[in-house]
Amino acid sequence: MNEMEYARPKSLKEMDRIVGAAKRPVKFIAGGTNVIPDIRAGALSSKLLVDLSGLKELNFVKEEKNEIAIGALTTISNIAASRVIREKAPLLFYAAGQLGSPLTRNRATIGGNLAYASPAADTAPPLLALEAVVHTRRRLGRERKIPIDRFFLGPNKTRLAKDEIITKITFSKPKDPSKGSYLKLGLRNAMTISVLSIAVLLETNGNVCRKARIALGAVAPTPMRAYRIEKKFAGRAIDRKNIEESSLLIAEEISPISDIRASAEYRKRVTSVLFQRAIQEASRGGKP
Amino acid sequence: MSEKLRDENKSHSDDHVVGKPFPRCDAKDKAFGNTKYADDYFLPGMLYGKVLRSEYAAAEILSIDPKKAEKLSGVRAVMTAKDIPHNETITRFGQTHTVGGFEGLYRILADKKVRFMGEGVALVAADTQAIADEAVKLIQVNYKPLAGVFDPIEALKPEAYKVGEETSNLVCYYKVRQGNIKEGFASSDVIVENTYRVPAQDHAYIEPEAGLAWIDDDGVVTIQVCTQVIEHFREIAEVLGLPYNKVRVKGTWIGGGFGGKEDITVETYLALLTWKTKKPVKLVYSREESIICHGKRHPYVMKYKTGATRDGKLMALEAKLLSDAGAYVYLSPWVLLYSTVGAAGPYKIPHIKIDARTVLTNNTFSSAFRGFGVPQVCFAYESQMDELAGRLNLSPLELRRRNYLKKGDATATGYVLEHYAAFPETAEKALAALGEKSKSKNPAVKIGQGIGSSMTSYGRMVFLHDTSRSYVGMEMDGGVTVRCGVQDLGGGQASSLTQIAAEVLGVSMDDVRVYVADTALTPIAGTTTATRQLYMSGNATSMAAQEVRKRLLEKAGEILQSKPEGLELRNRKVRMKEDPERSVSLKNVVKACASAGIPLFHIAQFNAPSRELVDFKKGQGQVFPDFAFGTHAAEVAVDVETGKIGVLKLVACFDVGKAINPQAVEGQLEGGTIQGMGYALLEDVILEKGMTRTPSFSEYLIPTALDVADVRCILLESEDGIGPFGAKGVGEPSLVSAAPALVNAVKDAVGTRIFDLPLTPEKILNAQKKR
Amino acid sequence: MKTYSIHLLLNGNPVRVDVAAQETLLDTLRNKLWATEVKNGCGKGDCGCCAVLLDGKAVNSCLTLAVQADGKDVTTLKGLGNEENPHPLQESFIQNGAIQCGFCTPGMIISAKSLLDENPKPSREQIREAISGNLCRCTGYKKIIEAISDAAPKGQLSD
Repeated sequence: MNEMEYARPKSLKEMDRIVGAAKRPVKFIAGGTNVIPDIRAGALSSKLLVDLSGLKELNFVKEEKNEIAIGALTTISNIAASRVIREKAPLLFYAAGQLGSPLTRNRATIGGNLAYASPAADTAPPLLALEAVVHTRRRLGRERKIPIDRFFLGPNKTRLAKDEIITKITFSKPKDPSKGSYLKLGLRNAMTISVLSIAVLLETNGNVCRKARIALGAVAPTPMRAYRIEKKFAGRAIDRKNIEESSLLIAEEISPISDIRASAEYRKRVTSVLFQRAIQEASRGGKP
Repeated sequence: MSEKLRDENKSHSDDHVVGKPFPRCDAKDKAFGNTKYADDYFLPGMLYGKVLRSEYAAAEILSIDPKKAEKLSGVRAVMTAKDIPHNETITRFGQTHTVGGFEGLYRILADKKVRFMGEGVALVAADTQAIADEAVKLIQVNYKPLAGVFDPIEALKPEAYKVGEETSNLVCYYKVRQGNIKEGFASSDVIVENTYRVPAQDHAYIEPEAGLAWIDDDGVVTIQVCTQVIEHFREIAEVLGLPYNKVRVKGTWIGGGFGGKEDITVETYLALLTWKTKKPVKLVYSREESIICHGKRHPYVMKYKTGATRDGKLMALEAKLLSDAGAYVYLSPWVLLYSTVGAAGPYKIPHIKIDARTVLTNNTFSSAFRGFGVPQVCFAYESQMDELAGRLNLSPLELRRRNYLKKGDATATGYVLEHYAAFPETAEKALAALGEKSKSKNPAVKIGQGIGSSMTSYGRMVFLHDTSRSYVGMEMDGGVTVRCGVQDLGGGQASSLTQIAAEVLGVSMDDVRVYVADTALTPIAGTTTATRQLYMSGNATSMAAQEVRKRLLEKAGEILQSKPEGLELRNRKVRMKEDPERSVSLKNVVKACASAGIPLFHIAQFNAPSRELVDFKKGQGQVFPDFAFGTHAAEVAVDVETGKIGVLKLVACFDVGKAINPQAVEGQLEGGTIQGMGYALLEDVILEKGMTRTPSFSEYLIPTALDVADVRCILLESEDGIGPFGAKGVGEPSLVSAAPALVNAVKDAVGTRIFDLPLTPEKILNAQKKR
Repeated sequence: MKTYSIHLLLNGNPVRVDVAAQETLLDTLRNKLWATEVKNGCGKGDCGCCAVLLDGKAVNSCLTLAVQADGKDVTTLKGLGNEENPHPLQESFIQNGAIQCGFCTPGMIISAKSLLDENPKPSREQIREAISGNLCRCTGYKKIIEAISDAAPKGQLSD
């Protein structure tokens, strides 16, 4: 039967001990908004649930001189309520506000959202656009840093090893955080899985784009960066021609599937549309 | 009788109860968390049930081996078809009277063949839910998959896979013929021909199906369940091979029904398991189980050909309707009849040819859902009206104005309307309430407005000899008790009775206590379906209360030395109309009656006026007792680059006859409109070869608070309804024309029409592409 | 089967209960603590009718393990008020006709309470946002929004 066991370490050291001594395969749980439905579906029988929510030191939003650090256990609603995030990384602020529902946001964590690695993970496109780094830790303090664009391997698959947890996510403070845009398209206006989501972050000098970061969700096996399109903007003007050309090309960058929510064809079409809107909004300085 | 009361009401000051927006009698308990729903009851020693369901849509069952499951520790019963005394009954679905009509096979568990994915194959009762869940996995069923048929058009073909045991999948076929269709089209200057498709819709009540059953101290099998029909106790008894009075159904406060809890859901499973184990058994469906296994709104393919003259007079309608009954008959023949009778809409059309069929497939069975076959045809006929209006260069409102039925006109089935038909009144008011079209600030977003009118019946089909009964009695302290078999599914069915009884007996709603939905102890009131409860049990309660009132006034007349006609009963007092100082308290009148041995209770039976069975060959005759007439209006904003539709404004304007409780009536209109909005824009039970691809609320989307616009309700009170105080029922009418109003608004916004629901962003975009 | 002993405050009352690792707070509340006012509509966070306040924050109890509620404060609808001492939201829901079948009501009021705790004078749009995780099939939401708006402290209401 679906008998599981549970442990809630109060420190990283205690977590190491529990994981090391575990006689069953370990499943980490934080907010539980993805893990619990999996348990209900019978996918996790007989595992040892190791609850990370006791690790208070992993719950923070910190602004340093040049970077922002978010603890993996920070809830999505805390991110959406954080003044630092709203002012310094509005892309992430907007995405956080549209993840799940107000109820799930109070439990879901940013670490959990990334670790579950849904191709439609809401925080992924903004973090990709912010070129975030995922900090992880394995047993006995072995730490490493994984750039987020190398973090996802496939639907629900990441580079994380079985005993590895995310501790924090860091990113350099964008030079002009207002030159960003996050758009999510779903079939409904709340509690909706993305049909597609896009995050754009620009560094501009007048009308010339010095650097463009364009990230997409729900249109490929993993959240992705549109590198080729980014190159088209580097050092060039953000003008109508450039935007139109890129909007046609972006459809070729993605590999969406057809599912009950939308066909691949539709996803390609609206990606072009949302891309144009996102670039325009970002170059204008984001949402009013 | 209700006329008399109307007159009485007019002569009084406003101490009235009816017509006021008093909170419902069940509101407090629900607000404080005290109301118990079906899954909130527990009994000591209770077992937990689970149904094993077929993984195939069409298959032969070669063998079932329950041994492993039976051996699991904590399992108390495993049952398959062979363990059921009468696994199959022939049931007259949806009837309370044994007069003619349709019968269908009701099968408890699949026996030699399964007909839909999710069909019940075996039952388990165990000490805990976890053990029951585990046990079903251990039952070994040997299936031989069969081809199956999933498209109703395919299913009609003679060579199609046979879903049931008959040689044809066709369940029934109705015709309506009026005038001469060839002549009709010949005299039409404009003809519009389109095919409309609508999908299955799930009721999505927030409370999943649930119940608790036990055998009481007298050996009565008792099933406590959220059901719209407590009268299923008779079928349950037949299944068990027991006399009817050895089975009792107690209906609970229902967390939403909408027609989905109208057929038997958990009742027979519970009855069997408790009868087998002799212990109480609880059975609760998971949400996935509910979506996969219970009956849906019928998917339809509708071919409409409508002709009109150049001055906008409808001349001809030829309609071919095909509905997907799914795996079992259930209420399909009735739903089809409603569609057939309603297919022409509220319009005068001299030449009509309707051919309507419903066919079995291996999809989840289809059955009752708010509107019962009318939302489907309303989508078709209201879309046709706007298409015609476009071709004729008339506004949608003007074309309708030239064709709406009036009192005294004959409908498509030759029935002459006997009551006021609120057209064009409701359409004019609804459209006016939308106001000027909002201006779009974004070139990619187009705004559109649309209307949809409907004529939807309330009260059951007149040849079913519908009845309802209610008990009203006085307590010695002047309080009132009502006992009525009414099933309250959240629409205020029980509360209406307290409001009516309070009005008639001159007390407040708080003085009335209502007991409902118990086949052993409350007079049978009939099903909570067909928007019939206010009409039927409302009238029965009113009649019973009036009889009690008559006796009270007679006695009070003796006390006050006045003729009863000179008295009024209000605010717990009987007063002389001409000399209000002369009065006696209600309590004292009650005591005086008790002393004199005058019974102060009455059980009344209200018989709906009945007619002959309609002539099915030509489809002529009266089918329904009356209709609610109304119009929905909508304003939408369509993003033409993504296809996303935003709903800006919604209006529902209905002639409700008399608003017994205006707040409750608004609640029905608001809720029905939004459920219709879901049907138009979001909801689709997607089946692929019989497999439900939308089994949870993550895939099956209903509107959230961020998707809806506030519905503005305009209530008209013609007092020309046949319910108590001239009321009409609006439970179902409130949904029917909502979807067409939205579809017409979208057409107005973007210039293209979508012919199949729901209007997804992708369909909008594809339609734009074609332009 | 291994069980864990947890302590929590349920509507202000300390309770101790044994739970399985994978047992949800929803199951524990309904089946062991008899808090049947907390409803089960979907079991996976799609409908919101199981919402409770956990240390003051509105969460889906079906998406919280019982063990994760150890040491915490759980408030259900019954903890907000009763007939003798009703919460303004409960009164407002009753008076405004915001309750039809009532199944979504417990979760809806919890979400509303959470909103008013944080934002005593919400706009209608903010109210919609706050209850966007609570599905209602009966009312079309309008009277619910009016009830929440009405229950806010009297004064200026922004829109």
